[in-house]
Amino acid sequence: MTAMTITRDDASAAFFDGTARGVLLLRRCDDCGRRSAPRTLTCPACHSARLAWEPARGTGTLASWTVVHHRPAGGVPAPRTVAGLVQLDEGPWLHARIDGIDPSGLRAGLPLTVAFDRPLDGEAVPVFQSAD
Amino acid sequence: MAGTLIAARRPVIAGLGITEMGRVYGRSAEDFAAAAVRLAVADAGLDLSDVDGLLTNAGLAGGVGLGLQRRLQLRDLRVLSEIQSYGASAGAMVSYAAMAVQAGMADAVVCVFADAPLREGLGSSAAYSRPRPAVGFDGQSRHAGLTSVSARYALAARRHMAAYGTTSEHLGAIAVAQRAWAAGNPLAQMREPITLADHQASRWIAEPLRLLDCCLVSNGGVAVLVTSAERAAHLPQPPVHILGWAQSHPGYPDAGESSFGLESGAARSGPAALKMAGVGLSDVTVAELYDCYTFTVLLSLEDYGFCAKGEGGPFAASGALAPTGSLAFNTGGGQLSSYYMWGMTPLSEAVIQARGHGGERQAPRNDVILVSGNGGILDHHSTLVLSPYARG
Repeated sequence: MTAMTITRDDASAAFFDGTARGVLLLRRCDDCGRRSAPRTLTCPACHSARLAWEPARGTGTLASWTVVHHRPAGGVPAPRTVAGLVQLDEGPWLHARIDGIDPSGLRAGLPLTVAFDRPLDGEAVPVFQSAD
Repeated sequence: MAGTLIAARRPVIAGLGITEMGRVYGRSAEDFAAAAVRLAVADAGLDLSDVDGLLTNAGLAGGVGLGLQRRLQLRDLRVLSEIQSYGASAGAMVSYAAMAVQAGMADAVVCVFADAPLREGLGSSAAYSRPRPAVGFDGQSRHAGLTSVSARYALAARRHMAAYGTTSEHLGAIAVAQRAWAAGNPLAQMREPITLADHQASRWIAEPLRLLDCCLVSNGGVAVLVTSAERAAHLPQPPVHILGWAQSHPGYPDAGESSFGLESGAARSGPAALKMAGVGLSDVTVAELYDCYTFTVLLSLEDYGFCAKGEGGPFAASGALAPTGSLAFNTGGGQLSSYYMWGMTPLSEAVIQARGHGGERQAPRNDVILVSGNGGILDHHSTLVLSPYARG
């Protein structure tokens, strides 16, 4: 599978400024304090549009996952990616690749910690590894 | 002076058009849409000049929209809109057509979906996992491996499995049952029976979803024509009464309290549509459930109340869904085995069943037919309640 280059857009610029510094940023509502996922633009609790950026602890648990089998090519087994739905300890969810864990070891609630994939081109991207 | 909203204008489906379907090349989505509209209008015993309302739903290939009016040279339309809630669109379109007829806003409203995602020489999975640049937060999801609809749906299925112990074999029971129903459908693309072993041997797409958990991809178009019961009494086909309709769009939060994968919009749109129709779930004799994945069916069965929450797997494994079972369900084989026209798949089969035109797969009791639509990744839901009979 070829390496994927992520490009920022206006909505994600601050988030990727964070990942460049090795920081996972969440949103925090200035009005009610609720923490929400990075892509959030309206507070899910109070509908405020005043959301600030705040560093996350970087830890969470596995809420769901899938082992994606990419197209097999001529006799070679299909490469696989473990795609996770990570529940950060603060509550919000984030899609992230799960690295370094054999699929047989995946289970709901597995403790995870963030790392950053730094491809040669494009943005630094959060991934998660076993917290153990 | 009295207004024009006439309570006695009961909305019915009086026309159904299904084009050539499947690996059909050389025609655009608009070509299929125009053909489907013509077929539906002819089926209704009407002419294109009788059409005074048009609702369109475009698929992946686009090209089905307001321009269909000019394509078909339709004049003085009193309703014309593009509708988009993905798989929930068909149910939504029919409800809007029904309300337009009830209000006296229009007399003959055609609802059409068509798509042409299949390209000659490309596998069908290419259609729903096309590469696109990885930008922003969507790029984060694609980097995670979520480059296809199937991968995103797999997250939902896994969450259900982790919560309730649902298994791949449970999903397989759904695939096997629907393929058995498809054997009786001359319109179905896949009619050869499959076994649970076949399902379990089919390759992984995105665990826990296998190839046989995923629906077909089809080129083609389907349209229905909605009019009043009074008008339909003069038309050739048995009218299909539209007794109830509802939608539910959960708006799952990106956070732990989300019921993503655990409960869909069917839990709200089902009871609402049944209430409008004045019937209960136990009155439902045929269920045509949107089945982009076997998992979608399983969740819908729970959410509608055919079985308890978390029991969809055992319910499917019990044989209840098979042609020999207790529920006449996805009687044409569904999207898994017949054709994939988004919400028009369950709707078209529902119309066929309501008319009594199901041939060897005709459900013996067709008086209350539930039709579901799922859009996005469980983001959008619609329910229709149809019947050969007007409500009492």
